[in-house]
Amino acid sequence: MASAIPSPRLERRAAPSAVASAVVPFVAVALALVAGGIVLWAAGEPPVAVYRAMLDGAVGSRDGVAETLVKTIPLLLAGLGVAVAFRMRLWNIGAEGQLYLGAVAASGTALYVLPDAPAAVLIPAMILAGMAGGAVWAAVPALLRARLQVNEIITSLMLNYVAILFAEYLVHGPWRDPVGFGFPGTPRFPDAAELPQWGTTRVHLGLAFGLAAAGILWLVLGRTRWGYEIAVAGTNARAARYAGLPTARNILLVMALSGALAGLAGMSEVAGIGHQLQRSFSPGYGYTAIIVAWVGRLHPGGVALVAFLLAGLLVGGDALQMELGLPAAVAPMLQGAILFFLLGGEALARYRVTWRRPTPIPGGPAPVVEPG
Amino acid sequence: MGDVAAGSDRDVTSTASAARQSRRDLLRGAATASLALAVGLGPRDARAQDASPAAGPPIKVAFVYVGPVGDLGWTYAHDQGRLFLSQQMPNVETVYQENVPENPGDAERVIRGFAQDGAKVVFTTSFGYMEPTISVAEDFPDTVFVHISGYKTAENVGTGFGKIEEPRYVSGLIAGRMSTANRLGYVAAFPIPEVIRGINAFALGVRAANPAATVEVIWTNTWFDPPKERAAAEALLDRGADVLAQHQDSAGIAQAAQDRGRLAVGYNADMAPLAPQAVLTGPIWTWGGFYVQTVQQVQAGSWEAGQYWGGWKDGTVDLAPIGPMVPEAVRAEAEAEIARFKAGEKDIFTIFTGPILDQAGAEKVPAGTALTAEQLLGTDMNWFVQGVEGDPAP
Amino acid sequence: MTRDAAPPAVEMRGITKRFGEVVANAGVDFAARSGEVHALVGENGAGKSTLMSVLTGLYRPDTGTVAIDGRPVRFRSPRDAIDAGIGMVHQHFTLVDSLTVAENVLLGRQGQGFRLDTSTVERELDALGERHGLRVDPRARIWQLSVGEQQRVEILRVLHRGARILILDEPTAVLTPREAAGLAAALRGLADEGLCVVFISHKLDEVLALADQVTVLRRGRSVGTVDAAATDRRSLARLMVGRELLPEDRRLTPTAGTPARETVLEVVGLRAEGDRGRPALDGVDLRVGAGESLGIAGVAGNGQRELAEVVTGLRRATAGRVVIGGQDLTNRSPRAVAAAGVAHIPEDRLATGLVGGLDLAANAILRGYRVRPLTRGPLLAGRAIARFTDRLLDANDVQAPGRSTPAGRLSGGNQQKLLLGRELDGRPRLVVAVHPARGVDVGATETIHRLLREQRAAGAATLLISEDLDELLALSDRIAVLFEGRVVGEVESATADHEQLGLLMAGVTGQPGTERAGFDGVPIGLAADG
Repeated sequence: MASAIPSPRLERRAAPSAVASAVVPFVAVALALVAGGIVLWAAGEPPVAVYRAMLDGAVGSRDGVAETLVKTIPLLLAGLGVAVAFRMRLWNIGAEGQLYLGAVAASGTALYVLPDAPAAVLIPAMILAGMAGGAVWAAVPALLRARLQVNEIITSLMLNYVAILFAEYLVHGPWRDPVGFGFPGTPRFPDAAELPQWGTTRVHLGLAFGLAAAGILWLVLGRTRWGYEIAVAGTNARAARYAGLPTARNILLVMALSGALAGLAGMSEVAGIGHQLQRSFSPGYGYTAIIVAWVGRLHPGGVALVAFLLAGLLVGGDALQMELGLPAAVAPMLQGAILFFLLGGEALARYRVTWRRPTPIPGGPAPVVEPG
Repeated sequence: MGDVAAGSDRDVTSTASAARQSRRDLLRGAATASLALAVGLGPRDARAQDASPAAGPPIKVAFVYVGPVGDLGWTYAHDQGRLFLSQQMPNVETVYQENVPENPGDAERVIRGFAQDGAKVVFTTSFGYMEPTISVAEDFPDTVFVHISGYKTAENVGTGFGKIEEPRYVSGLIAGRMSTANRLGYVAAFPIPEVIRGINAFALGVRAANPAATVEVIWTNTWFDPPKERAAAEALLDRGADVLAQHQDSAGIAQAAQDRGRLAVGYNADMAPLAPQAVLTGPIWTWGGFYVQTVQQVQAGSWEAGQYWGGWKDGTVDLAPIGPMVPEAVRAEAEAEIARFKAGEKDIFTIFTGPILDQAGAEKVPAGTALTAEQLLGTDMNWFVQGVEGDPAP
Repeated sequence: MTRDAAPPAVEMRGITKRFGEVVANAGVDFAARSGEVHALVGENGAGKSTLMSVLTGLYRPDTGTVAIDGRPVRFRSPRDAIDAGIGMVHQHFTLVDSLTVAENVLLGRQGQGFRLDTSTVERELDALGERHGLRVDPRARIWQLSVGEQQRVEILRVLHRGARILILDEPTAVLTPREAAGLAAALRGLADEGLCVVFISHKLDEVLALADQVTVLRRGRSVGTVDAAATDRRSLARLMVGRELLPEDRRLTPTAGTPARETVLEVVGLRAEGDRGRPALDGVDLRVGAGESLGIAGVAGNGQRELAEVVTGLRRATAGRVVIGGQDLTNRSPRAVAAAGVAHIPEDRLATGLVGGLDLAANAILRGYRVRPLTRGPLLAGRAIARFTDRLLDANDVQAPGRSTPAGRLSGGNQQKLLLGRELDGRPRLVVAVHPARGVDVGATETIHRLLREQRAAGAATLLISEDLDELLALSDRIAVLFEGRVVGEVESATADHEQLGLLMAGVTGQPGTERAGFDGVPIGLAADG
């Protein structure tokens, strides 16, 4: 017989609580700061000073803001790509690979296809190539899913490794800089391939791509027939079939758009920052983009906001070691704590915790009115 | 000695005390040697050396590391240099950032951040920081940047590197004597001139001691990835190698050898504390002297951009203490060779003096001639000497 | 069969269980003894599963008592019921595919510690299977087993826990006839050893072949327990569906005076497979004319769902033709079928017909979002959509806080009115409605029925699939009865009554001696050799 000790249980809410949804992010960040603060305090560091240093590093100066924006760009573009796919319940885990392919296609265009073109031709060509590269890479899992019902989570994830290794092959092999002392990496791009930068900072035109993409996506998802089809298919796939929506076609199109946005992130990273293709030029932007998309609730505005906040967190984390001499591991620890509480809080918006003694009617699925 | 010890205690493992003590001596020795014998291409300033170290004005010096300071490898060796610097020059405030990825986005932000925070000298200690270093340096003409292991310089960007092949050659001699299977393994990071040069120096040492021995190479395509390095090591052990050498930044390879009762040659820093039964010795970096010299020159206003390439004689590189498993005869032979390098009787060019055959047995370096610095450092270094198994351009 | 003075193994008295406004059990009495096989029969929604869920501790009754071997019990959880010796075999198995039979049996047992003593259990299972004719390799992994073998594992698991009261929910629904025969023999053997076996069914053949006692539920009430040997299929069917006649005034005005109506839907020799790949439609012929309503009656699972899905393009026909308005639409896409003027009120409104997470406007335009005025170029026309949605909500009496409410938050009745309003907008030629008023309140039922009648009056053909005979009689001109994927009879509503329909639904096609005409399985009692 079950004991009479009250035990916590999660009860699903009928609908996500609106109040909880609005409050959760703030409470989560506050809890994360408290939890991180306890660890810092235990390690003998004053938590307030640490947080102040992070905030200062991220947005406390013009250069801090600029660097945060630089980091925002790839997270925003790839995050939008992930979000649009997730909206249709296409679990594209392959943004990292699509980002690499976009960078490879853009680099090839700059170095070998149109090396002598003026910027007005070359940059649009690189944009198209980057988006096409990402789209083609995303189309592979999309085709397998639409035609053969192959789970896109596995295929898109596995293609990341293929893409990264392909890029490595290029920079170690055929595209290696002939005067680079044998080190992996392509030659520098022609000057015309460099995205314009904002003043003396490193903030580049990619930010405009990101903001434009967020705006366009917001319009497409909310105002067009196609956005409507994505919403229906993403919310109730059976209803989409019942209403005769072109699901297979939309799987392809949505995944291609998702890959194109990730590809654009890769293109803007090499054209705006690196000015050459290097191995491991992305520190996992395509994976972080998944977090950005989720925490941003798959909404373009939310994704933009979260991309900026997460970028600030990453940039601000630098200050901890540079200025306070803390181990580099402190920054990821705080980042992890914030994400943990944020995602945990999401659950609380959907579930309610109740403390109850074991009652005669156990939880289980909601009673169905169609017995017998 | 006490002053040096205090600075490095935080990273010293307790089992290391004996070996560590001699390492401190080496560090001290390295500093003295490099002060006296620096061969930087820029003119040396007598005032810088004569000045009392503590007398200079306060100055902030920053270090950008690719790995964690506790890797007991490449980054650890640099951090030992940083600690040495702050011991020698109490007026110097040192700051560092570890685990900085080599992608341009992150690396440039960190380098720029140090420059903005008022660092007067920034040491960027990985090849991947070359372009970001050059790029930031353009915006901070009053800051001195020293990039380790690269080739690009600018008005305020110098480079620094060392002839690690000299101790590597001697480690090869010892390894060649110790191998009974006549099969040695070499876990290597990237097929680039720096690494290929090191493999060749090692193999030349091995074959000088044991002409029947071969050295098999596995590429990992990473500087620092302990599980991957260990996996490569185990593959080599599986194929019968009884001594492993490495161009990697962690101690995983030595530990793999120890676990299988085989032998290993370390790299970067003395790895004996982590695998005492396996580590014969290892080429190590002793950056402290170079760092002190550079900062003193900057303080004195005499620093000029150049390409520093320090050898054993200069104290930039050294060999870790030779392990107790090495028989007396081999130890004596090695120490005689060490003495010749330290005295300048031998150097990297001596190692690469012909006749040297390539893998196919064709003569690459005729008898009596030596490879030039350009041939050693540049893209010509894309071939393996005879006795190496593996593909220099995979 | 001994009928001694010992108390029944199971005795349930006055069980009432409500879910919201729906009364699933209304004062049900039920008793079963050790040593007997007891069938619990009734139509879908009669309350059979609810009653058994109360017995297995899944639901707590609002009122009523349960006694096991004469001792009153109050189950707080399924665990309590298991401890009291009650074991349930669900229609959908609860086995872990990647584990072995023995591991599944051990799974979830308390007091086992960390070490699974599988070899002991394997020996015990071998012995149990041998004794009861439920042989299965205890070392096999579940995914390697057939559905019938998996069911045996479920039963063995329950027996291994020491259950003395065994409950099975529609155990033969998933079995081949041969497997069903084997199961029947095993259940009989268990009863002979003194267990109390209760099984839920609505297949009268197997009930009569297997059970000693039969309890009939209708609309949440028990209408009686009869000795299987003393009854026949005809009387059971009568008990199941009742014999009330619908008052004449609630029936449709006969439209039979209109001769030679234009044929709108013609179904010829239609065959299709169900979800498990077993034949669900076995040569169905139907014809519905303009302004005519054809009802489809049948016990759940006799092909109704598949018929609706094939007609509307959601399921592939393996043979036969579907012709709508003279156009052959066999195996065309749902979109093509809809474009031919077919409205579809699906069986499960929230899972299929509506998008619960999206707002009412999004649901209102599900059919019409591609055409003007709801769309302009690639854009949706927000204002036109708002006007359209408001009109739809208004015209169909949908009570909702506003058009931006998620459809899932509406009550079932309002959801269904929204769905009907949308589907019937724009004068469909054919209306396919499946259980249109299931689970909705009386008021909403009135509205829904009115809407369907209006379509018929406006000249649409209606294919109405329902298990509610009153609804069929009220809304249809003719009623065809599906049994085992075939039309076993067709009657005029004006002259039909419940008894006649109930018999057809049970596969009784009129003359004695041809009762099994529509049944293609092997009679259970006759195939106990397997």
